[in-house]
Amino acid sequence: MSYFTDSFSAAVDLITALDPELFQIVFNSVSISLIAALIAGVLAIPAGIVMALNRFPGKQLVQHTLNTLMAMPTVLIGLLLYGLFSRLGPLGHLELLYTPTAIIIAEAILIFPIMMNLAIAAVTAADPRLVPTLVSLGAKSASLAFQVAKQTRFIMLAAVITGFGRAIGEVGAAMMLGGNIAGYTRTMTTAIALETSKGEFETGLALGLLLLLIAFLVNFILSWLQREQQ
Amino acid sequence: MTAAYQLNNIKVFHQQQCNLDIPQLTIPSDQCIALLGDNGAGKSTLLNLLAYLDMPNEGQLRLMGQTIKSSLSPAQRRTIGYVNQQPFLLAGSVTDNIALALKLQGIAAAQRPSLIREALQHVNLTHLATQTANTLSGGELKRAAIARAIAHEPQILLLDEPFSHLDQSHIQQFEVIIEQLAAQAGKTVIFSTHDRLQGAALANTTINLIKGKVTKSPILNVFHGQLKDKIFDTGKLHIHTTSQHHQASHIAIDPHEIIISTDVLDSSMRNHFSGRLTAISEETGVIHLTIDCKERFYALISPESLYSLNLSIGNTLCLSFKSTAVSLF
Repeated sequence: MSYFTDSFSAAVDLITALDPELFQIVFNSVSISLIAALIAGVLAIPAGIVMALNRFPGKQLVQHTLNTLMAMPTVLIGLLLYGLFSRLGPLGHLELLYTPTAIIIAEAILIFPIMMNLAIAAVTAADPRLVPTLVSLGAKSASLAFQVAKQTRFIMLAAVITGFGRAIGEVGAAMMLGGNIAGYTRTMTTAIALETSKGEFETGLALGLLLLLIAFLVNFILSWLQREQQ
Repeated sequence: MTAAYQLNNIKVFHQQQCNLDIPQLTIPSDQCIALLGDNGAGKSTLLNLLAYLDMPNEGQLRLMGQTIKSSLSPAQRRTIGYVNQQPFLLAGSVTDNIALALKLQGIAAAQRPSLIREALQHVNLTHLATQTANTLSGGELKRAAIARAIAHEPQILLLDEPFSHLDQSHIQQFEVIIEQLAAQAGKTVIFSTHDRLQGAALANTTINLIKGKVTKSPILNVFHGQLKDKIFDTGKLHIHTTSQHHQASHIAIDPHEIIISTDVLDSSMRNHFSGRLTAISEETGVIHLTIDCKERFYALISPESLYSLNLSIGNTLCLSFKSTAVSLF
């Protein structure tokens, strides 16, 4: 029991002492996940709105594919991208392997179907009079999609934050594609895995507590956005 | 004059059921037109087609003489203003809503403030211009939606059940607004209502819908029954007709064709019934009478006739109409 309480106490000390190495990892993790969430959001939200607003052949198939991708294991994404980015792979010349960019791409791919599905759900669950009203007022194609996004902006923002929350907790692909390089590609989750394997339980615990704090903040913002939308 | 709309062989299906079946219909322009029918008659379906919010499964719909293949051009969209039965106002103030509508219609920013002002004045809502949509009452919300629909000065205004869920004072306000809008030169106002007397009183022309089909009958004084030897038996009354149309299971009598008197008239009219006056109401200067002659009849008279006949609830009245006034369907 003292091992756990001592570690917990040491973890709190690390956080309160604003340990630079610890906060470098947090900064890396937050910035990588944030960029991934923004990139995925910019692509997934318009795609989700366009898909929800239009009928086209194969829509059901796209929906099933999205649902399948939502359940895709992160190590599989890591494995596929590893194959693409490794020196012998088709994109090896880009030298992306073991860079933050590789992790960003992997996380963006991981959260894209989640965000797109949330965007589709936001439009589908919106007031059924919204789209006919906008059409009757003269909205067409791009202006219609833009106005729908504007009217459901809190849910769309919630989709981005949900994606961010999913990305920051990701470990498999970040480990495979980032290589866990200190001060460069080391994220909170990969650091926790490493520190625990080294027996540095307190550092892992400190990062875990900070991850929990970020998760709490994400959920707090999500609740606030839901209230604002209502 | 070009018709506002021309419908040819229009059919709308929903879940394999035909909700609207109109072989031929011309809706004139520059008039106030009422779409009359019960709930589920197809009024909203037809209005959605006229607003080009839905497309028919079959047939052709022409707007101002032009055939629309897929969707309206911005110029064609500007000719139509549409107000839903339960209008949806977007987030923001009443002014924000109208401003967005004008922006989407491609109206130049410099013109917008004056158009917003005029639209709000039309519906007496200037005092609520800055109020957010979700704080408006039902009547105010409908007026705001009308302001938003008329701000870009469309030639055609479509109103789906504008009087539903409104109290009597708001209904009167809306009747005045509709009359004023319809009185403007070059404007066509098409509104739906299940209140046939109100529709008949307010509109120049009525379009009657029963189960998705347009009927020539006024769908007032509609009775179910059987026709035999030109006499229609409702089960309670025998009504003389001129038709041998044995397939008909309904008849309708135009309330304008019913003559009201205090004594039985000696005339060529074949149908005479007496009954008790059960309701008197007024709608835009026309008096509506409800008379119970075993079947309930609706009749329209002028305020002068009401005065000269000295009518009050409970009076026994005679009503007469020609057999040619009876339409069968």
